[in-house]
Amino acid sequence: MLSLGYMLRRALQSIAVMAIVYALTFLALFVLPGDPIENKISNPVNPLPQATADGLRAYYSTDQPAIVQFVLYLARLLHGDLGYSLTNGKSVAALVGQALAQTITLAALALAFTVLFALGIALVATFARSRLVRELARAVPVLSISAPSFLVGYVLIAVFSFRLGWVSSITDQGFVSLILPAVTLAFASSGSLAQVLIQGLSSARSQPFVTVLTAKGVAPSGIVVRHVLKNGAIPSMTLLALIVGDLLAGSVIVETVFNRTGLGYFTYTSVRDQDTPTIEAIVLLISAIYLSINLVTDLAYAAIDPRIALAAGGPRRGSARRRAEVPA
Amino acid sequence: MPSSPLESIATRAFSRRRFLVGSVLGVAGTTLLAGCSPTGTTASGGKGGTLTYVDPEIPTSAQVQESGTWQTRDLIQNLTDRLVNRNPTTFELEPWIAESWTRSDDGRDYVFVIRDGVTYSDGSPLDVENVKRNLEWQVTGDTKNGVSANSQFPRAIAVDVDAATRQVHVHLDTPYAPFLNVLTSWSAGLVANATIAAPHDEQVKYTRLIGSGPFRVTSEDYAQKYVLERRADYAWAPASARNQGEARLERIVWVPTEDDAVRLGAVTSGQAGILRYVEPREETALARQGYTIVAKTGVGLSNQWFLRTTTPPLDDPDVRRALFHAIDRKQILTEIYTPNWHAATSVLAPHTFGYKDVSAAFAYDPDQAESLLTTAGWTGRDADGYRTRGGTRLHLKTYIDVYDNTANALFQNVQAQFKDVGIELELNRLDYASYWGKAFADPEVGFLRVGWPHPDPTVGLIEYYSKDGSDLLGLKGSDTTLQRLLDDQLLAVDDAERAALLEQTQDYLVTEKAYVLPILDDSQVFVARPGVSGLELSDGALPLFSGVSVSA
Repeated sequence: MLSLGYMLRRALQSIAVMAIVYALTFLALFVLPGDPIENKISNPVNPLPQATADGLRAYYSTDQPAIVQFVLYLARLLHGDLGYSLTNGKSVAALVGQALAQTITLAALALAFTVLFALGIALVATFARSRLVRELARAVPVLSISAPSFLVGYVLIAVFSFRLGWVSSITDQGFVSLILPAVTLAFASSGSLAQVLIQGLSSARSQPFVTVLTAKGVAPSGIVVRHVLKNGAIPSMTLLALIVGDLLAGSVIVETVFNRTGLGYFTYTSVRDQDTPTIEAIVLLISAIYLSINLVTDLAYAAIDPRIALAAGGPRRGSARRRAEVPA
Repeated sequence: MPSSPLESIATRAFSRRRFLVGSVLGVAGTTLLAGCSPTGTTASGGKGGTLTYVDPEIPTSAQVQESGTWQTRDLIQNLTDRLVNRNPTTFELEPWIAESWTRSDDGRDYVFVIRDGVTYSDGSPLDVENVKRNLEWQVTGDTKNGVSANSQFPRAIAVDVDAATRQVHVHLDTPYAPFLNVLTSWSAGLVANATIAAPHDEQVKYTRLIGSGPFRVTSEDYAQKYVLERRADYAWAPASARNQGEARLERIVWVPTEDDAVRLGAVTSGQAGILRYVEPREETALARQGYTIVAKTGVGLSNQWFLRTTTPPLDDPDVRRALFHAIDRKQILTEIYTPNWHAATSVLAPHTFGYKDVSAAFAYDPDQAESLLTTAGWTGRDADGYRTRGGTRLHLKTYIDVYDNTANALFQNVQAQFKDVGIELELNRLDYASYWGKAFADPEVGFLRVGWPHPDPTVGLIEYYSKDGSDLLGLKGSDTTLQRLLDDQLLAVDDAERAALLEQTQDYLVTEKAYVLPILDDSQVFVARPGVSGLELSDGALPLFSGVSVSA
């Protein structure tokens, strides 16, 4: 049920939201005291002569009023120029590009692990024959939600890197270096997803259509995979979208422990250093990520459940939602 | 080293590291007992091989005038050479790229003879024309290109060269006694013309820092990895260097690793050969297990607290002197540090030109501290045991130093010791970015920490305490004696005269006026795995990797 009008409206809304976020971020950073250039100028360890200080302010345009700086930023942005880091002088586009590449690969693997872990836990917790096994499986999400990521990361590093030497703790060895941080991230995010899935599956398995399918002689595995899972997974879609957003925004803790410099780490250091051009670029990128994910999620709702219609306000379920499902 | 604005993260990071340290040191023992060959090094009989080095910080800009951080100094030290070197053992000046020099009696003219045959890593010659360009660039900067002048250098110079005699003539309108010393600075590293001509956003890259040092950076993966390769033709080390030729290592893989526990684990598990900075309490355990601890205090200024005479109650000299006698450095060193750390004995570090031991002025003497506070009128005691005067508690406010990983423990220890004599010390925290802006602007702050290695003590002291510098004491030139002592040093081209002025300045700042309270000598600590040898530190406590070798 996709309409071009709907897509256009959503795209325009996203651009408006990003513009507001960009402006608000600039304003917030401007009212905060200090920036790397002023810190350099006023550093008592290395005070700069007035002429040099004035020259630096002019070079970085920090001597201009806020509105002029904002217009300069915006003009550069419209030309695809994200400017230079105030901390290290490097191109912000290159820095953010490097961080994004690191984050995307890690987030993709972490997402795959998250879905795998959550599905496995939910299926066992819902369909295992032994009650003990089901109860044990239901306890895993609680453990994963309450275990701090740094602790999980440290345990993994201590065992697989320091003790067994299977992977370096400090240098990037390609795919193998992604596994431990991805497992750490997935362990943390799979808990809540598994809990929602367990609820969804438990609810779906008690629907009348399961009885109908069983009466028709459909194999239990077919009922679970083709029908119960499909219906039970819908509530977890929103949560999964949030998880994707979080993974793409990066994790400071996990990236620090595993010596990675993705978006989470860059967000942390650029905020720490009040590096305005870098923060603006990251905020723009992360808001674009979240808005895109929201849009994709809404589209995915419609794809999974055709009864969900897309309207101006987002996905809206039809009356069929309230009817018991009877598969054809 | 920076702390973070996300204080909870930083605090957790600090506390959580204890979890891993046990595992790390356990792995260290296991690995060594098993005789595993460390993968952090690959070797071929003492020459060649690769060393993986882990540093706690991400290098900032490679632009030499901007190179203030430890990690940047450490890198640039190994990539560039300087006209003059300070012998890291005798701490005397010695020739380097300038094979000799003369100075006129009035201190206005210098003649440097430039060593023949020195080249940069791009093949261009390090000749008199290039030296002239470097000196002018350091003095004037390149404002249009976003490059600031080097504030350690004199404000104006005129440079002439004579290619035939390889002489560079430098004329100063005003004598500048620290000139030779600042030429030894990490930020006075000589660079090729191509680097000076490059746009600022290229100069910040280490691959574009073209020096004449024993190593050059062949690849830079920002914040992840910097690969340094040796220059096979390097043959112009200063006379004091143990290795006069090319570096023993073929390659250094320089990996910034911020997490203390992971950095330590990388070395103990053999993934890296050398690290910088380990918590003092781990030094002893590592030394026992066969690791080499290399530590040094660089020449320059000691770790010191400047006391603001404009902030009551520090406007009272008796209160300032009471603080001097209330700190038991021996206890602090025993409880927090190791024998590689030392109590400060002056505002200058030992071996610094003009250094004088003035520690008698701040010897630990709690009775004396109490007596001084009583004399100052702080005779009452409130319910918490703090001294009072006219119903007001004796209270001081400061911010914990954000540049020192051990600062939390150090400041808390002093807080407890101050309480013993009835002084309340309020400790506050700030993030790295706003530290200068907020802490130094806070009128209620009584003292803050400054003091790091510096190529010249006069320039360092003027930067801190002169009305022409940061005027940290807030005197605005009102103390004409101090201002005269500082100003005269700049002009005192006779070494004996300047040394005498420096000694007087230390006496004045510490003993006479109790303006500045020296705390500790700033130490840099490196740990090398067994099998990694030859690491030396420069006069400024920067690592010299040229002599490092690794064995299988």
